[in-house]
Amino acid sequence: MTARRFGFGRPLLALVIIGVAVIAAFPLVWMVLSSLKTPQESMQVPPVWLPRSPNFEAYREVSDVIDAGRSMLNSAIIATSATLGILITSLMAGYAFAKYSFKGRDTLFAIMIATMFLPPIVTLIPLYRIVSEMGLAGTLFGVILPQLGNAFGIFLMRQFIAGVPNDLIDAARVDGASELRVLFTVVAPAIVPAIAALALFAFTFHWNTYLWPLTVLQGNTDNYPIVLSLGRLLSYNRGAMNAGFVMAGATLAVLPPLVLFVFLQKFFVDSMVSTGVKG
Amino acid sequence: MLGPATALIGFFILVPMVLTIWLSFHEWSSQTGFSAARFVGLRNFEDLFAPISVGRDFRRAFVNTAVYTGISVVVMLPLSVLLGLVVHQREVRGGQFLRTVLFATYMVPMIAVALVWSKLYSPSEGPINQILGWVGIGPQPWLSSPQTALYALIVLNIWQQIGYFTVLAVAGLTQIPSSLYEAARIDGANRVQSFFGVTLPLLRRTLLFSTVVAVINAVQVFEPVVLITQGGPAGSTNVLTYHIRRVGIERAQGGMGSAMAVALMLALIVAVVAIFAFNRKGEEQ
Repeated sequence: MTARRFGFGRPLLALVIIGVAVIAAFPLVWMVLSSLKTPQESMQVPPVWLPRSPNFEAYREVSDVIDAGRSMLNSAIIATSATLGILITSLMAGYAFAKYSFKGRDTLFAIMIATMFLPPIVTLIPLYRIVSEMGLAGTLFGVILPQLGNAFGIFLMRQFIAGVPNDLIDAARVDGASELRVLFTVVAPAIVPAIAALALFAFTFHWNTYLWPLTVLQGNTDNYPIVLSLGRLLSYNRGAMNAGFVMAGATLAVLPPLVLFVFLQKFFVDSMVSTGVKG
Repeated sequence: MLGPATALIGFFILVPMVLTIWLSFHEWSSQTGFSAARFVGLRNFEDLFAPISVGRDFRRAFVNTAVYTGISVVVMLPLSVLLGLVVHQREVRGGQFLRTVLFATYMVPMIAVALVWSKLYSPSEGPINQILGWVGIGPQPWLSSPQTALYALIVLNIWQQIGYFTVLAVAGLTQIPSSLYEAARIDGANRVQSFFGVTLPLLRRTLLFSTVVAVINAVQVFEPVVLITQGGPAGSTNVLTYHIRRVGIERAQGGMGSAMAVALMLALIVAVVAIFAFNRKGEEQ
């Protein structure tokens, strides 16, 4: 397929690419630049774009208001545990759906997939109550536990495990390996790219997620992940008008998922392509 | 093998979903146990349609969410196909680069996106009004006026999500065999004709999936509202996820909040069925 087919001239097409890329990147570039400004600079009208003497003062200020290290650690704990849990449960269920045949399999699979399309707000109120009654309100475990079963993960793993040859699995079974052993030593190594993609998706999603932690942590700021602490920064900042300070916090929150994405984007995009089309 | 996933999804998604439906027929404080719920029949739903403040606020949030969702989808999907064509072409380099930049915006936390855009939109210190000033357009109020705030949030949503739908569009475009374009060209079709005759019909499945996902994503808008606008000014950005959480959890009116959640769920089912019906009708033509 060529550009000519769609009626773009080359220079125009190049301009479109540059223009769209600039618009897409601008807010994130602005965020980083603003985080390096002095408080005076970030209050200027009209705004200055480049900090005259870039400095990390705003980042120090962030640490005065929120325990940024603690928040980042909380985010890392939530995202990592959720990811590990999702990987294990999704591999197991995906294996069962792909390689076992049992009564009601397709119905059960359809029900699970349907949950993927359920907006979280629909279940939020009773879920909040259930987790509170389990004594987990305000805890990191309360944030993590309900996230460990993931329909998208099951779907992705089933799609890829279906492509693993049955001969490979049967050979391992003949050798007397248990089913879990077959799954983790034979099947899983055969679909490493898909597992990597799921891990990255899960990590990013649970690093970024806001609604559920906000609801279940109930103001226990010690356990706030960085995205929630950012909200505190803003309310603290409301009078002070120092945009640089909020932008520094936002930069901290954005960095881990963005760095992960830049280095591992191949897995992300490839798996999106395969699931998007098959889905 | 199925035990852990089934138990987790069952207990933390399916059971709460059934409870939401059950609670919607009850008066219940979400600060108390489920056993404290008092059956009230359809009263919660009647209130949602009644000319009282509970109903008015809900209907406003419902309309705001529908507008937000509708405009997001109608703008984003055609744009994603256009950008998909740009990324997919081989004539000029930079397509892959563009895909990376666009998709990067989808990976960053919504909360950070909301914070950054609230500064970009700032009437006096923000760069958007500054840039508009350079081309002779006067300052706009953006998030501070009831006339523009919801649209400002829609722009933010499109900015964040467009990369995801562009990647889906590219995936769809990759599936179209180039022999079909050859055939169209031999039949004398020009570029525009082959786009409408070949590309668009073969993207139908992709667009169907994208539309459903875009709708489901859009009704979840929450962070920019809770953090920046608090539903205002004058209720203009009060959307359902924010409103349901405020009623059902902050005000602890669990039964009423659940009724609103059920209404949202029903509306979504209707919307998805309509999208599929629209698609089938298009297929027949």
